[in-house]
Amino acid sequence: MEAQKVDLFIMTNGKFFESHHLQAIRDRLLEMDDSKWGMVQTLQFKDPTICLIISLLGGSLGIDRFFIGDTGLGIGKLLTCGGFGIWAIIDWFLIMGAAREKNMEKLRQII
Amino acid sequence: MSSALSRNKLYLLLLFTCSLGWIWIYYNFAYNIGNYSTDINTCIIKQATGVPCPSCGTTRSIVSFLSGSIKDGLYSNPLGLIVLIIIMVSPVWVVFDFLFKKKSLYIFYGKVEMFFRIKLVAIIAIILVIANWIWNIQKGL
Repeated sequence: MEAQKVDLFIMTNGKFFESHHLQAIRDRLLEMDDSKWGMVQTLQFKDPTICLIISLLGGSLGIDRFFIGDTGLGIGKLLTCGGFGIWAIIDWFLIMGAAREKNMEKLRQII
Repeated sequence: MSSALSRNKLYLLLLFTCSLGWIWIYYNFAYNIGNYSTDINTCIIKQATGVPCPSCGTTRSIVSFLSGSIKDGLYSNPLGLIVLIIIMVSPVWVVFDFLFKKKSLYIFYGKVEMFFRIKLVAIIAIILVIANWIWNIQKGL
């Protein structure tokens, strides 16, 4: 794929991934076939900032975990009042990273 | 597998939460038989707003179940039954999987996750949880 397209993708979607992922994504996209560009371009990612807001507001109901697709952990959090309140607070700090990992997983399925 | 959790990570997390849960239940069981006191309140929502959350009363429910009064347990919070089953079954299952080097619980966990992703199931579950929440507020847990 052209470097210009790849850089455009990295610029618009960089905030959805961990910084250490970006180089790998760039390398992978550069050697990828041009026909997949449409698919990559239309992928929907979870915004880590939105996840943090949800975590702050509905963290003790597990809504943040449901939102990023960790249904099992979400149920666990819901049933334990946000893990006695401790897990909910820990997740305020972990949820952005978890969301970025989920986005990476989603992208990996395509590229 | 939809989940990013690895098998060992999930099992460790389960064992850790279950042991915490059992310690918490033992503490409540030993000190509050008969007259439950709400000195220690672990729920952030209840402390911040004074309104109980959907799973408030789960400890009371489990303590009631363990002391044999199923009716009280269901009245306190029906979710207590689910939590009790989970914390009773999952440690045994984890140990079984470790001993026989299987991942049956991990596979089951993935299946449960997929089950709750079905839209109809999710909607029904959400309605039930909200109904339980309203009931909790009415009961004034």
